[in-house]
Amino acid sequence: MKMKKKMSAAQKKEMLWGLAFVAPTILGLIILNFYPVINTLYQSFCKTGDFGKGNTFVGLANYAKALSTNGGETWGALWNTVKYALIEVPFGVAISLILAVLLNKKLKGTSIYRTIFFLPMVCAPAAVAMVWGWLYNQKYGLLNNLFGSNIAWISDPKIAWISIGIIGVWSVIGYNMVLFISGLQEIPSDYYEAAAIDGATGIKQFFYITLPLLSPTTFFIVQTRMIGALTVFDLMFMVMDTSSPALSSVQSLVYIFYKYAFTLGNKGYGAALVMVLVVFIMIVTVILQKAEKKLVYHN
Amino acid sequence: MKFKKILSLAVASMIAFTITGCGTSTQSNSGAGSTNSTSGTAKSLSVDIWDSNQQAGIQKICDKWTETSGVPVKVEVVDWNNYWTLLEAGASGGTLPDVFWMHSDYSRIYMENDMLLDLTDRISKDGVDTSMYYPDITSIYQSNGKTYAMPKDHDTIGLLYNKKLFDEAGVEYPNSNWTYENMYEAAKKITEGTPDGTYGYALNTTNDQDGWYNIVYSYGGNIVNKEKTDTAIDSASSKKAMEMVRKLLTVAVPQADVAENGTDSLFKSGKVAMITQGSWMIQSFYSAENAADYAWAEIPYADVNGDGKCQASERSTQYNGLGWAASAKTADPDSAWSLIKYLSSKEGQEMQSELGVTMSSIPGSSDAFASSFKGMDVSAFINVEKDGTLQARPGTRNSGVWQAPMKQEAGFLPAWQDPSNADLMSSCCDKVAALIRNAIAEGN
Repeated sequence: MKMKKKMSAAQKKEMLWGLAFVAPTILGLIILNFYPVINTLYQSFCKTGDFGKGNTFVGLANYAKALSTNGGETWGALWNTVKYALIEVPFGVAISLILAVLLNKKLKGTSIYRTIFFLPMVCAPAAVAMVWGWLYNQKYGLLNNLFGSNIAWISDPKIAWISIGIIGVWSVIGYNMVLFISGLQEIPSDYYEAAAIDGATGIKQFFYITLPLLSPTTFFIVQTRMIGALTVFDLMFMVMDTSSPALSSVQSLVYIFYKYAFTLGNKGYGAALVMVLVVFIMIVTVILQKAEKKLVYHN
Repeated sequence: MKFKKILSLAVASMIAFTITGCGTSTQSNSGAGSTNSTSGTAKSLSVDIWDSNQQAGIQKICDKWTETSGVPVKVEVVDWNNYWTLLEAGASGGTLPDVFWMHSDYSRIYMENDMLLDLTDRISKDGVDTSMYYPDITSIYQSNGKTYAMPKDHDTIGLLYNKKLFDEAGVEYPNSNWTYENMYEAAKKITEGTPDGTYGYALNTTNDQDGWYNIVYSYGGNIVNKEKTDTAIDSASSKKAMEMVRKLLTVAVPQADVAENGTDSLFKSGKVAMITQGSWMIQSFYSAENAADYAWAEIPYADVNGDGKCQASERSTQYNGLGWAASAKTADPDSAWSLIKYLSSKEGQEMQSELGVTMSSIPGSSDAFASSFKGMDVSAFINVEKDGTLQARPGTRNSGVWQAPMKQEAGFLPAWQDPSNADLMSSCCDKVAALIRNAIAEGN
């Protein structure tokens, strides 16, 4: 017969102290994360009144409007967001992985290079957007004047999304690279020595040792960057003017959420849009989790 | 030992709370600039405005008031694009600045939701004569017989031109007999007669008040009717006006460039010869590098009846007046009212004109404004009031709902991007009409 172990006085005391220490964080999470999520879900079923007063329950009307009446805009924004993620995640991961491998060797000046590559993460997003906006300026921007071209980087609906994606990749390389370097340093050098003895080239070593052993880190980066990319907002908001011809081909779902919830004051509709994004991200995460079982090599 | 434990727990919780609480408190500070209205006993007023050009002048007037009242005032600027978003967040959260600007686009929604301090009783108690202001402007800030803001100023629209570019293309300067057709001819000649990249005209399609609104009303159309119940943007007159806008756009800076650079920057860089602008922007061009090349002319008129002369109704200028409002929940309503009373008094208004901030909200006291810009003749802004009609800026209860989409894909933007297509402009007029009617029907 199994006796339920009662906690001794000392263990109880420890548990209480533990709870006391995490209480502020739990309180913060509840007030700043859980409550807003439930409130947003509730607001998505309402027609919000002015200044948050007088919400009237309207059931699924907001969702109907978001998914069918304004469907063109909503699905368009979702597709724009996916397009952005398709640039930021693969390229961000690939480029930073190569950089991490190159900077993992003990060459002269690696720490300087690491600092330089990490700098974009430290810059304020607004400053980043402003400078890139000027680089991309069609008539007076640095890029066009340097290459003598006349490309409408951010005003041409066909390529504006690529230009924004480039800014995204640029700003995230440093972060990914730091994570990759730490992942690389966990790989025991014995594997590389053994492979070198067996005559494996650098590239072979990369594909057969580095990549598989790095897969947990890679998966983590892909998953977090995917979620981050799907919630992108500040790049579009700060780089594109509201009267830009290319706006509708780059506006992300969070961008139109901001437009409806804050600029136009229709918070109920905005909440519904956000819920659509949440569901989409959940689906993507489930797919990624399933992929993890097949692709990630755990020791 | 126990004391150490308690101390470390207290410090740990404090750190945790400050980290989580820090985010929200800095947000409300930068959002509404209202640290003082929540503290209750602190005796200083926070004032929020959106025009950095006016900040220095307004601070001077507030400081003059501080001399007699003893209450310090801090004037802060939040740019127009973010002002209303932040004000709304402040209103919903209960932390509005003490005194702030009110605008015709949003006055109704703020008044109807009791966000503004009711000034009616204070006005009658202090014997302030509200009939001395422009009646159109006073009524913007009145609801249900109560007054919620005092008129701050009025503004008109003028035509700004670059003499150097006109000389280069050999075109005569604008005069007060210009029609929009004359303007089109001149713009065309300049666009063709100057090197690539320099244009005769640029239309700021996002700032309707200083741009195409004037053309619509000059041709006899409207964007929202006087009763705020309907729109006539799809009427024949309005379509004629938008056709004129389309013509002007064919010789103007392409929309993509305007979106990337802004008309003011293009003008100041010598890339555009003419733009229309409001009197509140004079300071910005007066203090520009090449201000000596700039001059102001009266806004053109539309010769609707074809008699070659300008009737007042054919020269319409948008005019608007901001209001000084106080938060209904301000900690010190008496000081707030005293400041507002001073700012809108004859003395405050004349000081505002002299400093070249804006034109006064009291008819007849803007002459000092005209002479406050030495070396730049801005009489065009005052003359237009005699030669033309002042048209109050069109707005509904919650104008933002239709104003934003009107200037984007769902409204006129496709027509502005492709000015060579006349039918597109006409169909966009219909689209915009439906948009506005829809918004009005939904209570906006």
